[in-house]
Amino acid sequence: MASSTNRYDAIVIGGGHNGLVSAAYMAKGGLRVLVLEARDQVGGAAVTESLGGVRVPALAHTVGRLRPSVASDLDLRSHGLALVSPEVRVFAPQPDGRAVTLWGELARSVESLRIWSETDATAFVEFDRRVRALSKFLFDLGEEAPPEIKAPGFGDALVGLRLGRAFRGLGRNDGRTMLRVVAMAVADFVAESFSTEAIRATTAWRGVRHTAMGPWSAGSTQVLLADAAGNDGGAGETVFAKGGPSGLSDALASAARAFGAEVRTGVRVSQVLTADGVVTGVVTDAGEEIAAAAVVSGVDPKRLLTTLVDPVTVGPNMRWRAGNIRTPGTTAKVNLVLDGLPDFPAAGGDARLLRGRIQVGTTSIDAMEHAFDESKYGRFAATPVLEATIPSLVDPSLVEGAPEGTHVMSVVAQWMPPKRAAADWAAAGGAADREAVGDAVLRSLETVAPGITGRVKVRQVLTPGDLETQYGLTGGHPMHAEPGLDSFFLWRPLLGWARYRMPVQGLYLAGSGAHPGGGVTGAPGRNAAREVIADKRKRRK
Amino acid sequence: MPQRYDAVIIGGGHNGLISAAYLARAGLKTVVLERRHVLGGAAVTEEIIPGFKFSVASYVVSLLRPEIIRDLDLPKHGLDILPLDGTFTPVPKGEGPKAGGGDYLWRVNDHGRTIRELRRWSKNDAEAYEEYGQLMVEMARFIKPILSMVPGDPTENDPRPLLPIASLARKFAQLPERQQAVFVQLMTMSAKDFLDQWFETLPLKATMSASGIIGTYQGINSPGTAYVLLHHYMGEIDGAFRAWGIPKGGTGGISYAIARAAQAQGAEIRTEAPVARIMVKDGRATGVVLTSGEEIEAGSVLASTDAKVTFLDLLEPGTLTPEFEQEVRRFKFRGSSGKVNLAVDRLPDFTCLPGEGEHLRGAISFSPNPVEMEQAYDDAKYGHWSKRPYMDMIIPTLVDPQMAPPGKHVISCFVQYAPYKLAPELGTWDENNNREKFGDAVIDRIAEFAPNIRDIIIGRQVLTPLDIERTMGLTEGNIFQGELSLEQLFFNRPVPGYARFRTPVDNLWLTGSSTHPGGGIMGANGRLAALEVLKSRGRKVA
Repeated sequence: MASSTNRYDAIVIGGGHNGLVSAAYMAKGGLRVLVLEARDQVGGAAVTESLGGVRVPALAHTVGRLRPSVASDLDLRSHGLALVSPEVRVFAPQPDGRAVTLWGELARSVESLRIWSETDATAFVEFDRRVRALSKFLFDLGEEAPPEIKAPGFGDALVGLRLGRAFRGLGRNDGRTMLRVVAMAVADFVAESFSTEAIRATTAWRGVRHTAMGPWSAGSTQVLLADAAGNDGGAGETVFAKGGPSGLSDALASAARAFGAEVRTGVRVSQVLTADGVVTGVVTDAGEEIAAAAVVSGVDPKRLLTTLVDPVTVGPNMRWRAGNIRTPGTTAKVNLVLDGLPDFPAAGGDARLLRGRIQVGTTSIDAMEHAFDESKYGRFAATPVLEATIPSLVDPSLVEGAPEGTHVMSVVAQWMPPKRAAADWAAAGGAADREAVGDAVLRSLETVAPGITGRVKVRQVLTPGDLETQYGLTGGHPMHAEPGLDSFFLWRPLLGWARYRMPVQGLYLAGSGAHPGGGVTGAPGRNAAREVIADKRKRRK
Repeated sequence: MPQRYDAVIIGGGHNGLISAAYLARAGLKTVVLERRHVLGGAAVTEEIIPGFKFSVASYVVSLLRPEIIRDLDLPKHGLDILPLDGTFTPVPKGEGPKAGGGDYLWRVNDHGRTIRELRRWSKNDAEAYEEYGQLMVEMARFIKPILSMVPGDPTENDPRPLLPIASLARKFAQLPERQQAVFVQLMTMSAKDFLDQWFETLPLKATMSASGIIGTYQGINSPGTAYVLLHHYMGEIDGAFRAWGIPKGGTGGISYAIARAAQAQGAEIRTEAPVARIMVKDGRATGVVLTSGEEIEAGSVLASTDAKVTFLDLLEPGTLTPEFEQEVRRFKFRGSSGKVNLAVDRLPDFTCLPGEGEHLRGAISFSPNPVEMEQAYDDAKYGHWSKRPYMDMIIPTLVDPQMAPPGKHVISCFVQYAPYKLAPELGTWDENNNREKFGDAVIDRIAEFAPNIRDIIIGRQVLTPLDIERTMGLTEGNIFQGELSLEQLFFNRPVPGYARFRTPVDNLWLTGSSTHPGGGIMGANGRLAALEVLKSRGRKVA
């Protein structure tokens, strides 16, 4: 029996960045909030972990899409958040020894693209404008809960009006473009601007990163635009938190605590308790029952509805729908400790170029599509496509105490076979598979940074299976649910349940599985908190 | 003195003919100009090999709109659609529950029999099939009105053209939540992901998902392909009209029935009358010039040619703004399918079900499992024809014996994929014997399941997308006059802002498959365009 002293307004399952954001907002709104995190540190996929005597970004490596309003509402700066943004955004070495380099400053990107094509360099200006204009609309869309469609009320009409106005704000031409491109393959979208394969591939990458889509998959343009919804244009963001992603997560936890929330780590929730179809609290692995009027899940919706809530309460229809949420994780993460800065000949000795995202294998649309093809049949490419960062270049604190010259490299590797996530990866030999992934990643890196293998002191490989078992991401999907057109806005995660309320009264979704989706934005967490607070006020009346 | 008509229609394909029939019926003096010696566009019957008649390109009726059959009284003019009895999918040795020389999955028009057959593969799937079927019929019933809707422009300030959508939205709001969710999935998912939710039987999933990729340069795993699955069910709820089947006399039979209906209403039809140019004066279309130099004046010009041919080939350069021309160039064609027509002196004999049986009277689908379907797409993605293609085979002579000399047969194979543009190392379709190599790949694929195929062929015709472009005038050989991908549907088809059959040139209208609701022998485009023309002329439209 839960004791009354042990009763909360809201329990947040999972102290990932969205769980923490939502806890902070709820606590700020006057709710008594408890966050339960299964791992021994908060942050979920946005964490810094120790590896071979230094600190590495375990999964996510950049945090630049965090909504500025979240940072200011929660005063994260005073809780220790410091962001570092290098001038270079993307450095993509190409087989011919040159590189596609994109900068935070538009003019610099244009200048650097001139080595490829004068026309494409000029076209980048319009591409950048277009991405900014269209993604601004998606940004606005992400600022609030999608409207109620079942029984729209006055408030929903207002939301509709605001969104209508945002759409009209695009103007006739961009409005039409929006409707045309949102369902398009990103390969087609970039081809409308550029004719150079290397530039097409480099700019298309954000449309397929962390997805089980290739550049020819319809709807990947929407993923690119959603990624740009921080209004960072055609180059994309590259922003690091000082101290790695935990720099952000710890600031969030500190802010939440300052508003009065409790945050407990090392406590795994095993079940959401319900009575008569209404949420009453949670049970932990240790058997502790904690009562709450609301339970807010930072955990992905598939896991939540198929494993944490009583199936009878969820009902067979909803369970079927939740079970069909697609979570094909294709991302592996490889973290390397290096005894010196690797030499990228395409950078010509200019280490500044290595401070942003280093894209390996984004050489042509077909090359990327070929890599994607492998994953469809349960394999991965001999040289996978990578997005690497060397965060120690912009944040030396990560390698404090390590021998002079030590660097950490964080590598996102795609496309891994999604079907082998979890059990299958383990069944396929666990460690052996892990080493095969690590070897393949180094093979890719060797193509652009010869000799890098010799610099590797420590190597950590996390397969999609590890993402599932160690970080609780179903299917190993870092976005909680595939961000395809079938999981978007009004139907993310499920049509009829996009307003953060789950089909059990008192149960809410605050993680990346909710609108507006994955990435370190804090938007789902904040929007969910707003709905929890609104419901509590309604009940009081 | 040039001849003067109320309406001139460029192209005697089924849509052009349907427009003509509707306009003539409303009293307009109408003429249809067909480039070739034979009517029908892609819905033609021709005697390619002496004694053997082929539905050269389009070979089954998918969804001819019942209101058109009714309005134009097509049965009276000779329309006769013979039923197509089910789908037979041969499966290689070792991949089915049956031991021995391979298995098959056979779905027939008799529901009970299909369920029994499915149960042999999977009890779960047999159960799910019933539920799935009902759900899809509900979905089809809901979405069908869109086929007779003229798409509005959502960026327009005038909301009136959007009203039909609003009524659809209201109807959507009344659907049960699960149906709403499934509808959204149909509009956004890949055929394979969608079907994965219900089924586990590989040949069932592969065969059903095949209908999602017909005429598109997409694979069964490509998002956006689930929508086309609905088309099958749209035909089924018109069961009384037998909307699915083989037209008697080939698909040309439909075209000629429509042509006769148009003529009966007073329309003139001229063949071997290729149009060279659309005449435009002060931003208005005033008629056409034939390649012979003959001028024909008309108050309305309706082009059933595709968007590229109409806007970029038939209009004088400079007529349209560069921005609009840019939008037209963006419209994707990307023909992806080929056609192989065979004349045979005996029937093919399938290892998994030997002999001549009713399994040969329906569609024979070469889609044993989803992996091979996807691999066929992978080949095409990089500019090669599928080495082991997906194929939909029909033997029309089994239901319509007059198509071949007694005892002999014609076989029609719709083949996917054959990309319009081959990889640079292959050259063009005209080079390196590519066309015949593609034909050989098709025969090899058939031989995997029916080894006697090589011995029975007495003639073959291989049509690549390039041939389809040349013969039928379809850009890049796309059988739907533009890919049916999500971004090219409804108010985006063919150009955002110009989805209502109108063009930037006054009095010039589009009526072919480049417009909403797209391709297939459906006729909705031709009818809707004609009704819009009549409305613009202030005629009351029944």
